Amino acid sequence: MSEPVLVILMPPGGDGLSNAAAEALGAGSRLAGLSDASLVCAVIGQDIAAATTEAAERGVDRVLAADEERFARPGGDLAVAAAAAAVEQSGARNVLLLGNADALELGPRLAARLDGASLMGVIDFSGSGDDLEVTAAVFGGAAHAAYRLSGPGPRVLGLAPAVAEAPEREAGRTADIEALTVPAVESRVTVEQAPSADEGPRLEDARVVVSGGRGLKDGDNYDRIRELAEALGGMPGASRAIVDDGWAPAPEQVGLTGKIVTPDLYIAAGISGASQHMAGCSNSRVIVAINTDPDAPIFNYAHYGIVDDCLEVLPELTRLGLELRAGR
Amino acid sequence: MHIVICAKQVLDPEGVNGYALWGRLGVDESGRSFDTGGSTIPHIINAYDEQATEAALRIRDDAGEGNEGDVRITAIASGDPAAADVLKRCVAMGADSSVLVVDPEVAVADGFRTAKLLAAAIGELGDVDLVLCGRQGSDYDQGAVPAVLAELLGSPLVTLASDVRIDGNGDGAAVRVTRALPEGEELVSAPLPAVVSVSNELGQARYPSSRGMMAARRNPPAERAAADLLEGDDARVELMRLIVPDVQGHCEVIDGDSPEAKAQALMALLQGQGMFDE
Ligand SMILES: Cc1cc2nc3c(=O)[nH]c(=O)nc-3n(C[C@H](O)[C@H](O)[C@H](O)COP(=O)(O)OP(=O)(O)OC[C@H]3O[C@@H](n4cnc5c(N)ncnc54)[C@H](O)[C@@H]3O)c2cc1C
Repeated sequence: MSEPVLVILMPPGGDGLSNAAAEALGAGSRLAGLSDASLVCAVIGQDIAAATTEAAERGVDRVLAADEERFARPGGDLAVAAAAAAVEQSGARNVLLLGNADALELGPRLAARLDGASLMGVIDFSGSGDDLEVTAAVFGGAAHAAYRLSGPGPRVLGLAPAVAEAPEREAGRTADIEALTVPAVESRVTVEQAPSADEGPRLEDARVVVSGGRGLKDGDNYDRIRELAEALGGMPGASRAIVDDGWAPAPEQVGLTGKIVTPDLYIAAGISGASQHMAGCSNSRVIVAINTDPDAPIFNYAHYGIVDDCLEVLPELTRLGLELRAGR
Repeated sequence: MHIVICAKQVLDPEGVNGYALWGRLGVDESGRSFDTGGSTIPHIINAYDEQATEAALRIRDDAGEGNEGDVRITAIASGDPAAADVLKRCVAMGADSSVLVVDPEVAVADGFRTAKLLAAAIGELGDVDLVLCGRQGSDYDQGAVPAVLAELLGSPLVTLASDVRIDGNGDGAAVRVTRALPEGEELVSAPLPAVVSVSNELGQARYPSSRGMMAARRNPPAERAAADLLEGDDARVELMRLIVPDVQGHCEVIDGDSPEAKAQALMALLQGQGMFDE
């Protein structure tokens, strides 16, 4: 039996695990299976009982739990210290993180602090021990690259979205639950103003997302996107190009460096389909593309395509959507 | 105030994208480089690093007329000799000088190695207050360099900056950063020296003026050899091979005589699948 695999989760308090967190356990169990290792999960947060129970019910062998007020929203120095404590207490060599904005900082810092190596955007792994090969998306997903990681410390892997399925949940299954001890840390970065805790619906949870790109021609036409999104009970999204142009607000950007969405329906209007955009929406159940150019790359990803001017198609879709709602 | 910008030369990601989407991207015999059938994809400055440079220049602009001399800006890159181009760009934009760490191992694509080299070069400069990096390389999308650099320098790290300002001076000086997070903007501060990574929300980087470009020609980077800065071959992340995934289209094109007819056909189809059922 080799060193355990560790999945580090920092869930918001009160709830069970997010889909992404449950999927990370699936990835962890696959990685552990490659080398006949056990699976350990560190749960770091405040009010995390539901999350630790769920981790146990999803097949984790051992849970390291740090349930303290200071971990309510751990970031920066505190997150690195807590994660480092979890790696040391678990004795893990391979460590998995959820690939989000926090992991961009946590992954490489954790690896550097413990003299290991890290890789973000991980989509696959094969082999075991020193021969473990890790595949990650590069150039926004236009290509993949296989890597080998070395060094005396841990290998820290940040997962791309949806790389594994969540393990089945077995009600009542238990695991060893142990307190994770994290030393006192002085955070050098002071948060002066947290993001306004906007309790509104999240783009990531929307069942329908309607996104617009440069094909809208003019910033004012982003309203056509908002109107259709509203008519379909969904939320508006945008390509980075039009966020950079100031047509749409940054939190509405979909893609590699924006939101990652997995709705039932993703409508892309006037979006070319660059890999960095598709990295944020390619796991949608149904993708519809509206583009004047029949050769636009977006049609490689779309399930349904309309080759036409989105400024003429969108209002009609909105009208039909509103009609549908009124008819209910 | 001495600001260091870390800049990287990357294969133009838009170019890679284009070749991939048109099915003309392959991998050469080494397995570590792309093959585009004779045509070349240009190398450019990582756009996020260009924005890090812009962030440094805005700090100097903020110092006010006559005080520009109080803010010194040095650009550093590690890479092959051609990476001198990105440093020329930084100097043309307004950086005072630059240092190129010539590293024969660039193909390994190891951000940990890069960060060690940059940390050593920054150590040689001595009096650095603020290190600005791009949030990630737009080639391998890793973002390891700012994070590892902060650990190696023992400095606080702030990632994903959309605005960077200096508050106060001397021992009490701090950097105040607006961060562009998925859940909205966050305002943080950290004591100097610090490492900050810059995101595209910072906005468009300025174009070099023709005077700037001339100045850059007369002010080439100082060169340092990687072997002199880093003992032994300490690779942590090794690129074994590149893979070009197959993007197979399976798109059903919706026909119709007019945009409206196509919209109607699409809605009927989605409705038939139960897409809008409660
Ligand atoms: C490191 C990096 C990270 C990035 N991250 C992201 C990201 O997170 N999200 C993201 O979106 N991008 C990202 N990008 C940018 C990405 O590569 C593309 O540049 C961007 O997605 C293009 O936006 P677009 O499709 O709106 O514009 P364009 O590529 O200009 O496409 C416009 C499309 O509209 C079509 N069109 C024109 N007129 C009409 C009309 N009347 N009706 C219908 N269609 C029309 C055109 O045929 C074209 O296909 C990133 C790039 C890099 C290098």
